[in-house]
Amino acid sequence: MSDVVAKIDNLRKSYGTVEVLRGIDLAFRGGEIHAFLGANGAGKSTFLGCLSGAVTPSAGTITIRGTPHSALTPRQARDAGIGIIYQHFQVIGDLTVADNVFLGNEIRRWGVVDSRAQNARTKELFARLDLEIDPTRPLSSLSVGERQIVEIARALRLKPDLLILDEPTAALSEHEMKALHRVVRQLARAEGLAVVYVTHLIDEIEQIADKVTVLRDGQVVWTRPVNEADHVALAQAIAPNMTDRSDRTAPPRRDDAVLELRDYRSGYTGPVDLTLHRGEILGLYGLLGSGRTDLLESLIGARGRASGSFRLAGRDIAPRSPRAARDRGLALVASDRNEQSLFAELSALDNLLMPHFGGLAGSSARQRQLFAESAQRLQLRPARADLNGGRFSGGNAQKLMMGRWLFPGIGIEVLLLDEPTQGVDIGAREELYTLLRDFVATGGAVLVASSDPDEIVAIADRVLVLNQGSPVALLEDGITEERLVHLSHKTVHRSTAHAAERHLATE
Amino acid sequence: MSEKTLAAGAARTDERAGEAWSWGPVLTNLALPIAVVLLALFFYTQAPVFLTLNNWISISVQVATLMTIAVPFAILLMAGKVDLGVGSLLGFSGVVAGLLFPHLGVTLTIVVTLLVGVGFGLLNGVLVGWFAMSPIIVTLGTLTLLRGLGQWLSPHPLFGFPESFSYLGYGRVAGLPILTWIMLGVLVTGILVMRYTALGRHTVAIGVNERAAYLVGIRVKLTVILLYVMVGLGAALAGLMSIARINSAPSGTLGVGMELGVLTAVLLGGIPFTGGKGSLLRVALGVWLLGMLSNGLILMNMPTEASLMITGIVLVLAAGLDVLRRRRG
Repeated sequence: MSDVVAKIDNLRKSYGTVEVLRGIDLAFRGGEIHAFLGANGAGKSTFLGCLSGAVTPSAGTITIRGTPHSALTPRQARDAGIGIIYQHFQVIGDLTVADNVFLGNEIRRWGVVDSRAQNARTKELFARLDLEIDPTRPLSSLSVGERQIVEIARALRLKPDLLILDEPTAALSEHEMKALHRVVRQLARAEGLAVVYVTHLIDEIEQIADKVTVLRDGQVVWTRPVNEADHVALAQAIAPNMTDRSDRTAPPRRDDAVLELRDYRSGYTGPVDLTLHRGEILGLYGLLGSGRTDLLESLIGARGRASGSFRLAGRDIAPRSPRAARDRGLALVASDRNEQSLFAELSALDNLLMPHFGGLAGSSARQRQLFAESAQRLQLRPARADLNGGRFSGGNAQKLMMGRWLFPGIGIEVLLLDEPTQGVDIGAREELYTLLRDFVATGGAVLVASSDPDEIVAIADRVLVLNQGSPVALLEDGITEERLVHLSHKTVHRSTAHAAERHLATE
Repeated sequence: MSEKTLAAGAARTDERAGEAWSWGPVLTNLALPIAVVLLALFFYTQAPVFLTLNNWISISVQVATLMTIAVPFAILLMAGKVDLGVGSLLGFSGVVAGLLFPHLGVTLTIVVTLLVGVGFGLLNGVLVGWFAMSPIIVTLGTLTLLRGLGQWLSPHPLFGFPESFSYLGYGRVAGLPILTWIMLGVLVTGILVMRYTALGRHTVAIGVNERAAYLVGIRVKLTVILLYVMVGLGAALAGLMSIARINSAPSGTLGVGMELGVLTAVLLGGIPFTGGKGSLLRVALGVWLLGMLSNGLILMNMPTEASLMITGIVLVLAAGLDVLRRRRG
């Protein structure tokens, strides 16, 4: 049970001057389920990337079954016996279960795919997992949990010694989660696989893991047997520095409410009751699938609203498109900049002024003037109007995205932001926060959603914590990373599992 | 620093300097103008009459309809959408006008015909923009539908248009054919729209990143509908120009294959099929190249089949050029 399958020594990874992994030493043993925890940006995905071959380490060795590697390609990782199951499914809905299991490695006979053999082998694989799924069913007819199992079967077919699961239960219902746990335990106990199990849910660790490792800032905080790691210890390890907020002068929050939600429900999230005042930055904290994005997009009309009331500046509103929301004084800076807000092949000027052509930005002289003023205010680097949006660093591109709504006199009352500092370095982060504080100081209000507790603690005056579509707490003061992590990692009873599935399906 | 690293550093600087002066980008950017010049010179050596003002004016008349459609079509393609039905709409508009002249008179017929173009543009636009149907499928549908409709309305070619209308086809104003003036008007309008209006910026934004355009508050659906309406209007206008020039409206052949000519010109002009960028001046150059090609081949007494084949080859070359340009980012 205790033979070391994989040993990691002093694993490091830097991107430019930023050190993401700062010397990781770990050992994974056969028959053991090793849980892996860490906040966003702790280096989890980079670490998994090094193991799976997606990322080339800067230094260190990965020793698998006695063979040391300084770097792996995805193929080498697979051949060395590392199987990985990603958070986002890599399966194809139009193919059958067996086709998916053998995708890219089909059993051939006379040059054509031998479906009969594939179906039989798939059945065997499922039998090993104590499950029955008809290999000839189209994948699209499977539940989310069953798809997860198909992913596992696919990884198992390559006979791995080390199986990595990256947040496998993020999208599963309670029942499916139990089924998955059974499968994982079976693999570890009966087949002696070493399992690395990444999760956000502290509760889940107690149910499944033998050992826990907490990662923070690219280093291992500690590795302990699961019975020596209680909730408090875990939360503290994930986010130890209860940032001292007392040095922050509380902003002069005015009493005039600007945005009011009463019993507000989008398709997935709610009911939310919330009042946002002028001069206030309100945080919306939650993990992936907590409903952050869903709520924000519903507010600006990019997704539907199910019920409840929504008042902005004293008027009931129901915007049906981002355009309509903007005309009423509400704008969103969406998450995932490259997919949802940046025009990579258009100039910085076009990117900054895109909402205002035909309005504020008339003549080209006026446009250049607006750009120059904005670039100064945003501290845009380089302050070049003609440079393509895609050429800016993450922080400076994000300044352009936020700058769109920060022109004085365009009537934006409330700015919504979703993961505003994704892929933004620390320095630029502070600059972005300053922009937000300046905005609220002039009478605006900000609703900022984030999965990064650091960020929420740094900027939010109050925080609404969301967990699987439901608001679980509204923190007025005493906002610490520890509390945020604790509240959001609790497993909520999953009566909304089906809603969650629908939600994911629409994403 | 050792000599070796110094040398390596110098080599790297050289490389970078070499990159700045490399011929690649120059070639891809100038390929079209150079091709136009070389082709003109080649035809000149084969038939000296090619390089005369009169011949160029006759080329301009020949490409006038193509240009009139290509400009709004190119703008639509910049938004990442396409309209394959333009040739059929051109033919249908011609037939409608031919049928209406005896009843409505010239002015009203022209207005109604243009409205028919707007109507079908609206139909395409609503299906693609509002209902998010696939542009290729929808407009393949209108391509077939309108061709059938035209032939059903008038199985035989229509002749005998009012003289005041036919004048549009051969008349001149200030030394240039009216058709040429219309073509220039459409081109200049297109360029002004793209350069100075919000519609122009929004169009390109939709082509680059439709989701971002939507979230930033651009009326994406409305913009797409408007672009299809512009294409419909252009096609109807081109239909009127065509029947004025040839003085008949043959429902079976008018505008057949036009969509391919337009696509060739627009791709030659460097607008990628996925949209997001492009210059109407280059598109105009692409149209001109096609016009020169057919004109020159006729002057050389090449059979029609040969000029068809050559046009096909040009289209493939244009696509190749597009790939080269994208590789360079």
